[in-house]
Parts: sequence; C-alpha cells; structure tokens
Amino acid sequence: MEHYNMNLTLKVWRQKNKNDQGKFETLQAKNISSEMSFLEMFDVVNEELINEGKDPIAFDHDCREGICGMCSMHINGRAHGPWDGTTTCQLHMRAFKDGDTITVEPWRAGAFPVVKDLTVDRSAFDRIIEAGGYISVNTGNAQDANCIPVDKTKADLAFAAAACIGCGACVAACKNSSAMLFVSAKVSQLALLPQGHPEKHSRALNMVAQMDKEGFGSCTNTGACEAECPKEISLTNIARLNREFIGAGLSSEK
Amino acid sequence: MKWSQFFNTSIGKKLLVGATGLFLCSFVIVHLAGNFQLLYNDEGKAFNAYAAFMGHNSLIQFIAWGLKIVILLHAFIAIQLTFSNRAARPVKYAVNPGNQTSSWFSRQMAIMGSILFIFIVIHLANFWAKFHYGEMPLHTYPGQEEPLKDLYLVSQETFKTGWLVVLYVIGMIGLSFHLIHGFKSACQTFGLNHKKYNGLLSFIGIWLFGIAIPVGFAIIPVVIYFK
Repeated sequence: MEHYNMNLTLKVWRQKNKNDQGKFETLQAKNISSEMSFLEMFDVVNEELINEGKDPIAFDHDCREGICGMCSMHINGRAHGPWDGTTTCQLHMRAFKDGDTITVEPWRAGAFPVVKDLTVDRSAFDRIIEAGGYISVNTGNAQDANCIPVDKTKADLAFAAAACIGCGACVAACKNSSAMLFVSAKVSQLALLPQGHPEKHSRALNMVAQMDKEGFGSCTNTGACEAECPKEISLTNIARLNREFIGAGLSSEK
Repeated sequence: MKWSQFFNTSIGKKLLVGATGLFLCSFVIVHLAGNFQLLYNDEGKAFNAYAAFMGHNSLIQFIAWGLKIVILLHAFIAIQLTFSNRAARPVKYAVNPGNQTSSWFSRQMAIMGSILFIFIVIHLANFWAKFHYGEMPLHTYPGQEEPLKDLYLVSQETFKTGWLVVLYVIGMIGLSFHLIHGFKSACQTFGLNHKKYNGLLSFIGIWLFGIAIPVGFAIIPVVIYFK
C-alpha cells in the first residue's frame, strides 16, 4: 500500500475530571503518516500540545498490540474506529484520507465514568469478575493436566470466548450500554469446561446481578456489540449466558 | 435467587417480554385465520358465526382477557426496560454508527411497539367494544333461528372510511417492523441461537411474522375498501 501523509482536523472530547461538564476541542493534526497507528497520531498531537505548554489529551493505552484492551476511543461513531476486529492501537491512519475530520469521544456509559478526556473508569468490569468470573481451586499440588478429558469442540468455543480482553467496546457500541457480551464471554469460557461446572449456577446468577447493580442496560439483541468487538466474540455466547441464567434461576436452592 | 428477584433482573424482565411476545406471535396467526373469513362471498355467514363463537365460548373469553393482560404486561415491562436502557447512557454520543453495526429494525422496537399499541387501542374500540358493549346490527341467515350480531357488516362499513384503512395499513407496517426483529430476538433471549436452527428462525421471523402475516392483515381492509 502506498505511503502518504495527511493533514487532519480532530474533534476531541476534553474533560478535566469526573465532575467537569466537558466539551469538544478542535485540533489540527499535521503531516500524519498513513503508516502510523491511531495512537501514534495522538502521540504526535500530544507532543505539540506539550511543546506549546498545553495539557496533552489523556487516553488509555498499554500494550499497543491489540491484547490489553485499554485503548478505548469512540472514533467517528464507531468503537475502536472504522475497521472490524481491531482495537484503536491496531487502527492505522491509512483508514483516513487527507483533509478528514475525525470525532473522538470516550466510551459513553453511566457505568464507565470519564476519568479525564478519553480515559474512562472500567472497574465495573472488575467487580463483575469478582462476583463469579473465577473457579475455586484447592491448594496443594496441581493435578495432571490430562486427567480431566475436555471435548475439543467445547475447548475451542471456550477459547474463543476467553479471547475477550475486557475493553468495553461492547458496552460502548450498544445503544443500551449493555455489558451482556462481556459477561457472556466470561461466563461461557468457564461454563464450557469441566473445571467451571461446580460453580456454574452461582456464577451466572451473581455475575448478572452485579452487572445490573453497576447500571449497565439490558440487551435488545441488536448485535452492535458483536459487530464492534475487537476479538469478534459471538452473540451465541449471550444465548449461552441466557441459558445458564435460566437454568440457574429455575433450580437454585436459595 | 427467589422468583421475585429472578424476574427483577435485566434478563428476567427480558424473559417476560420475550415470553409474552411469543404468545402474541401465536395469537396473530389465529386472529388472521379468523379474519380471512371476511373475504368470503357469503354475506358474512361464516365470519359472524365464528365471531359469535369467539364472543361466547368461556374458554376463548378467558384467553381473550388473558391476552389483554399479556399485551399490557409486554408493553409495561418493555417501556420500563427502554427507560432504564436510556438512563444507562447519561451523556450521549455526538456521532452514532447508524446502520453500520446493527439493523435499523432492531433499534426501532420501542417506536414500532408504540405504534402497534395505539393501533390496538383503536382496533379494540372499532370492533371489540362495539361487539360486546355497543349497538350491533343483527342478521338472521336462512336456516337459522337466532339472529347473529353482524360484525361482518360493521367491518364492511368501517373500511369504507379511507383514513381508517390507511391507519390499519400503518398499524400493520408497525407489526411487520416490530416482528422482523422481535421473533428472533425473543428466541435469542430464551437462549435459542444455534447454527442448525438460525436459518429457520430467521425465515419464520422475517417471512412469516414480518411479511406474510402483516400483509395478510393489511389486505383485508384494502380489499373491502375497493370492493
């Protein structure tokens, strides 16, 4: 692909802190290489802001290779930008052309309050995991890995669900700010495997209860989460979560 | 988890909306089958006999009242969920993805449901209320002793009014758009999402509930109007 440079107009959400009202700021990004990642473009813009003695744009990032799930940016109405199956750090500037105006917003959800600019607090996800996204293992020697037979198909499905990086794009993309795709991936990766079976009922009930408590919306099966998920987690996981939840609700002892 | 807690969770409420929705899906099939008798060329003999049976059979009456409760329950919980879903995003996006990430139908459920609800109220006032509580013309068919309430005649007269025909067609467009997403969505809520069945469920949702049934309903007032 041919390399080119571009000048862009950025409309970036600026918000000092959680309590600030926040507003869009228009900035110019000059001489941006088409081979840069979207975050590298932000690095260039921030360098200039720092040189001018201004406050750089706060944004989350860590691995910059698509596996940490930190780079939460809503770009031109799309979670992680226009490309399918990518995080913002994997979005390259060749997705844009010279003269484009790009609107960048933080994830919008009551359960993900803005910390500063484009950085949001996703600890609601951590609390959902704490409510049941684990298996209890006795202390002592680990048993031989091969002593529990696992069906290959189920192992593959569990692995596909475990690809979830907890980035929150599903919540950001959903018109209801629902966290069902995230919760369903975390429930599925364990429910599909024998190690997850002993706690499958309490897990589904507790994680859904925590999800509701955090103020996420409910799922209306629009499929926007699946379309935006950088790890392409399937809606079949949400159906599985619904089955797990129904089964647990019908038979729970408490 | 107690039942009261179970049905107060987001999934629990969705299960109620889905279950009532699927029940209403089964109802529209029966209702349409009955309505087709309006197109018979028998001066309404079959239709009026059917209406008299439906209006007096106690089991049918029990289900008919249950149906009204189900519609209210479906609407009430769905409205509640819609408001809490909107509240889950206090600050809206400046730019929205539109149809890039989800189908238009899937995002219009509340609006189409509201159109349908208004339609149902008008429809009940036009026929149900008139049949049970209003003054009805009577018709005695040859070979019958008792006269029948002539709901057939009422429908023929009602659909001579152009704007009412338009309203009924709009109501059926609302039904169509609501069910194109609604049927399959309810299946997903009950955990039914499997590649062996998804094709069939999409076909039933779109072609049967989304197109065939609303078109079937809409044809009747249009045919009567132009008769």
